Amino acid sequence: MKQMSTAALTLAAACAVGSAWADGEKIALFTKNQTNPFFQTVRVAAEDAAKQMHATISNYVPTKPDSIPEQMSQVEDAVTKRPDAVVFTPVDFKAMGPALQKLNAAKIPVINITDRASGGEVVTFIGSDDYNLGLATGRHLLKKMNGEGSVIILEGVRGSVTSQERVRGFNKALEEFPKVKLLASQPGNYQRLQAMQVTENLLQAHPKIDGVMAANDAMAMGVIEALDGANRKAMVVSINATKEGVDAVKAGKLLATGDYNGFLQGCLGTLAAIRHLRKQSVPKEIVFPASVIDASNYKGHELPDSQRNCPKWEEVVKG
Amino acid sequence: MSSDAAALGCRLLVVALLCVLLASLSSAFLTPSNLLNVLRQASLVFLLASGLTLVILTAGLDLSVGANVGLSACLAATAIKATGSVGAGVATCLASGAAVGVINGLLVTLLRIPPFIATYGMLWMLHGLTYWYMAGDTIHGFPPGFRALGSGYLFGVPIPIYLMLVFLAAGGLFTRYTTYGREIYAIGANAEAARLSGIPVRMRLNLVYTLSGAMAGLAAIVYLARLNSAEADIGEPLTLPAVAAVLIGGTSLFGGVGSLSGTLVGAIILALVLNGMNLLAIDANWQPMVTGVVVLLAVWIDIMTRQRAGSRA
Repeated sequence: MKQMSTAALTLAAACAVGSAWADGEKIALFTKNQTNPFFQTVRVAAEDAAKQMHATISNYVPTKPDSIPEQMSQVEDAVTKRPDAVVFTPVDFKAMGPALQKLNAAKIPVINITDRASGGEVVTFIGSDDYNLGLATGRHLLKKMNGEGSVIILEGVRGSVTSQERVRGFNKALEEFPKVKLLASQPGNYQRLQAMQVTENLLQAHPKIDGVMAANDAMAMGVIEALDGANRKAMVVSINATKEGVDAVKAGKLLATGDYNGFLQGCLGTLAAIRHLRKQSVPKEIVFPASVIDASNYKGHELPDSQRNCPKWEEVVKG
Repeated sequence: MSSDAAALGCRLLVVALLCVLLASLSSAFLTPSNLLNVLRQASLVFLLASGLTLVILTAGLDLSVGANVGLSACLAATAIKATGSVGAGVATCLASGAAVGVINGLLVTLLRIPPFIATYGMLWMLHGLTYWYMAGDTIHGFPPGFRALGSGYLFGVPIPIYLMLVFLAAGGLFTRYTTYGREIYAIGANAEAARLSGIPVRMRLNLVYTLSGAMAGLAAIVYLARLNSAEADIGEPLTLPAVAAVLIGGTSLFGGVGSLSGTLVGAIILALVLNGMNLLAIDANWQPMVTGVVVLLAVWIDIMTRQRAGSRA
């Protein structure tokens, strides 16, 4: 059924060659892996946006998560299949430079989402700002702590840009609250189990921990399990606003989660690609302001991705 | 036998040295609650590595244990959500884990694919299957009765530690005092000689791969119950620590030599290293290096003692 409608759309596109307003644009969407719920959200959102605009999405996802060679060969694959535009998340911002150049050489427009790609031309970058998200969620926690007490930081994968920037934001927030003591900043590698074990260990070393800043939701869930298991209380903030994270906010277990906004990234990335193909204006860059989701504003975010709808371009992008 | 005992004693010495070092550097280390904490963290790796130890004793390898945990945990999570029953979750984990083990065994014994390749291929197939099954979803929030298996206490001691001790004892009795157990060592020492002396080699190999799979299923239960959540990639980071625990524990990759108590010591050393680095707040940049150095030191000390014991004998 799905294939049939794709065929129909392709046919429609073929009939309307020459018209700048043709429906049925073929968009290739590149995401990093099948495992992170974040990219699943991006894909669902892109599908929704494409449906609104009568375009079609084909997905390119490495079977080995975040595999550089695999994404490289998928880009080569896409170049031969010639989609009208590519919505692109590089698995590695530096290593994917040559892939970007191949797309440029094939004159396929590239919309860059989530992580900034380097080493080639893109129509626009659409994403969230990790540093500002770290800063905003960090501040949120420290304000709730009345600027006093002690915290620990759980870092993501060492060397990843997201972790580096988020942790830099956390530390900047700590500078603004000099009375708060940073007890430890340890790596949890974005993994639930490691974050849990690291927290269990830190709880042994520190009889009092008032707050925890975790660089993603999955680690925060591990932290919360460790706190519960040890019968200890601390306020926890994290980043990503995955459904699990928002559910935890709703349940009162997680103080807040910074909205990485995968849904909007998927929507706007696809809409920007279609607008570009239809010769409508697209700004050089759309970086979402850092918004923090807590008990006061989680409504709407806890819906499953499949029940959410993309906003209209004009509602989000002004001017 | 005496060289085995010497080697085990030596590995315990490494643990003792690590403990003395950590106790002198951090006052939080040598407390009952921290030691229980370390043992609880070691239990997950030990359970996963215990079945793997049997496989490696036969000079085989099971690289699919981590991926097996991932698939079994995700299937069990669905089963618990659908039925609300603890039994259904436990049964699903064990059945799925063992089923994967049976297939591994058949790949090795029936199709005669080398264990490294067979279980490496299985690793990829399981990852693919789990990613497809979960489609990026996370399943979380399980009933307290199930959670108790991972996060509960009995007389102040975490439940996973009891599980670890039960399987250490059962596995120890199995390998030391049953014919099956002795046959596993014999196969690892020399499969051809074992076959000629009438040991049903293929059946025993099928058995160890099935046990390895079932233990991965058990580890999946503990993981789910502790973390209260399942997603497709949870098993990936578990395989290498499990293999490392077996090797640090003195079980030879060439088969025939080693023990479950060694694997326990290996799992404890790995947990101690993480615990120590966290307690001492060692900078994240240095942590992989410290882990590597400790692993190499533990194995080197083991080799040295074996050689000495061997030359004396």
